[in-house]
Amino acid sequence: MDGMTTRVLVLEDDIGLRTSLRLVLEDDGYEIEEAGDAETALGIVEGVDIMLVDLVLGGVDGFTFIRRARPQTQAPIVVISARDGVEDIVTALEAGADDYVTKPFDVVEVQARLRALLRRPSLATPASDSAGATDTAGQSAEVMVLDSVDGPLVFDRAAAHLRRGDREIHLTMTEYKLLTVLSDNMGRVLSRTALLEHVWDRGFFGDERIVDVHVRRLRKKLEIDPGQPATLVTVRGLGYRLDAR
Amino acid sequence: VIRDAFRPGLRSSVTAAFALGALVLSVALSVGTYVSARHLLLEQRERTALRQAYADAALVRDGLATSGTSVSEALGAVAPPAGASMYVHRGGQWYSSSLDQSGEALTGVVQPAVDDGSVGLGWTSRTDPHAVVVGIPLPAVDAQYFEVAVAEELQTTLRTLAVALAVGAALTTLAGAALGRAASGRVLSPLRDVASAATDISDGDLNRRLQTTADPDLSMLVDSFNHMVDALHERIERDARFASDVSHELRTPLTTLTTSLALLQRTRDLSPRAKRAVNLMADELSRFRRALEDLLALGRLESGIDPSAQTITDVHELVRHAIATSGGAGEHVTTTVDSSRSLEVLVDRPQMVRALANLLRNAELHGGGVTGVGIEVDDTHVHIVVRDAGPGVPAEERQRIFERFARAGGTREGTGSGLGLSIVAETVRRHGGAVWCVDADGGGAEFVVRLPLAAGPEVRP
Repeated sequence: MDGMTTRVLVLEDDIGLRTSLRLVLEDDGYEIEEAGDAETALGIVEGVDIMLVDLVLGGVDGFTFIRRARPQTQAPIVVISARDGVEDIVTALEAGADDYVTKPFDVVEVQARLRALLRRPSLATPASDSAGATDTAGQSAEVMVLDSVDGPLVFDRAAAHLRRGDREIHLTMTEYKLLTVLSDNMGRVLSRTALLEHVWDRGFFGDERIVDVHVRRLRKKLEIDPGQPATLVTVRGLGYRLDAR
Repeated sequence: VIRDAFRPGLRSSVTAAFALGALVLSVALSVGTYVSARHLLLEQRERTALRQAYADAALVRDGLATSGTSVSEALGAVAPPAGASMYVHRGGQWYSSSLDQSGEALTGVVQPAVDDGSVGLGWTSRTDPHAVVVGIPLPAVDAQYFEVAVAEELQTTLRTLAVALAVGAALTTLAGAALGRAASGRVLSPLRDVASAATDISDGDLNRRLQTTADPDLSMLVDSFNHMVDALHERIERDARFASDVSHELRTPLTTLTTSLALLQRTRDLSPRAKRAVNLMADELSRFRRALEDLLALGRLESGIDPSAQTITDVHELVRHAIATSGGAGEHVTTTVDSSRSLEVLVDRPQMVRALANLLRNAELHGGGVTGVGIEVDDTHVHIVVRDAGPGVPAEERQRIFERFARAGGTREGTGSGLGLSIVAETVRRHGGAVWCVDADGGGAEFVVRLPLAAGPEVRP
């Protein structure tokens, strides 16, 4: 990222939709990288800040693309797909996507998704982060210890990662944002709707499974036993709560 | 039509036929039995009477042969068998063992034979019961001997036999009727299975099939029925798939269209005419999109409800979100609730919100606006009531408006996709509920969605 313009990768095999998205997003000031297939997209994935990815592509499909792209980049991935089955949504999110928009969509919605996922206080410019961190929640610290059970687990906001002992655990942007919101409300239950609103910038209209999938992914990174969560706990019927130990 | 009401059913006909058959058969058998038994018994009785008469006649002849013995003395010397009377006709005079004078009358039937010098055997009906009459000529003593034996026990036996046979015939007829009923029931039971399967299928259970059977007579029916349902199922699925495929294929081009149009709408240097054209396109495209989304929603509903997608949801929240989703229809209206209980339902939330929003939108589009949203509750169900300011829905339309592409009275063309209320009906039905439309108090229509409350309604402390 050059810090000036945001680069958006549009991976979509339909040239009409690809072009119309390029036109609209260029108007918004984004720099667009187009790709009609996953192989091309994988070649340029490292330079982009956010991705719009179609699932049904010729050759390598969108799910595989997301799985292959994830180790290379933490940039948010928004799926744009005609597939609206629950399994497709969950599979895409578990593969590493951050959000899911089904066709036909209003381009306004995609624009909003992009803005929401890019609205990061700290990740883009860690140096100027302090202002962002304090404006979300005055009481939250830059560095907090989430558990001290097995080599302390430290959430470093400025660096946007987790650390267990000496081991550094990378977070995707969405995971980072989710953990930030949860830690701002340490010990308090947050409903799925509230999380959708704060992390994804949308309320009830979003699918709450997005929250569940990301919580599951986050648990894999911060729980000692993700099957028996002790730090990021589920409060049945209400939502999720972060408990420091 | 009226005659049909009195037409006996197949089962009754079969039962009646069996009963009639049993009756005819048992009557024929009974009559045959009676006739041959009677014949046998009469013959036996005659033989007995004949034997007895021979013995008695011999005694009387011997008595008369003794000189000086009168007929009365000779008769008196012979003890008559029980129930029998002895008569002697000699020299124009009738003598009797029982001092009666009816000898000539009783024995008339055999007299011609005896007069011819042979033994006569016959029956007389002058006694009650009938009696066997035996006449034996006694030429040695110039007399004729007659014996009249009343066939008392024979009569009783025959009567008993007749009663027994009649009772037997009646019982056989009843048994025949019972057998007919059972047999027709057995024969009709596969038809009942077919009927119940057909009902299930028409209620939407397209996976229902008849159990295959080894019975060669039934397997043809079962196979052809199942085959028919398979073909039907396949066809329905193919149609549904086609609709879904078409809708699916339209998604990407439609998105391209709306995206490009959004770009055009943002362009400032359009002429007023071009702007009008662009706005027209935008309106039509959004209508097209609504229709497509409705079609896709219906397709999803038809593929069934995913139980894992269902969550326990508070009804107030549901209604709140439906109002927000419907673009604020009914936002200004106060929601009335008649209960302080926690009202929770088990629903696929996006689907149910969409359905309720459709109902609110319908009130806005066709009912002159929402005038009230109510939540009512009974022991097991919650009613979500949407009232509008419109003219109401005529009674004959109230069923039809929930069908696809139905428009009330064909008016207000072009405002919706024509699928809104059918999505409501389908969604609610898939959740085990019902939706209907009535006249609201004080005018307007009132749409009621009835949903089962999630297990165990609790009272809030």
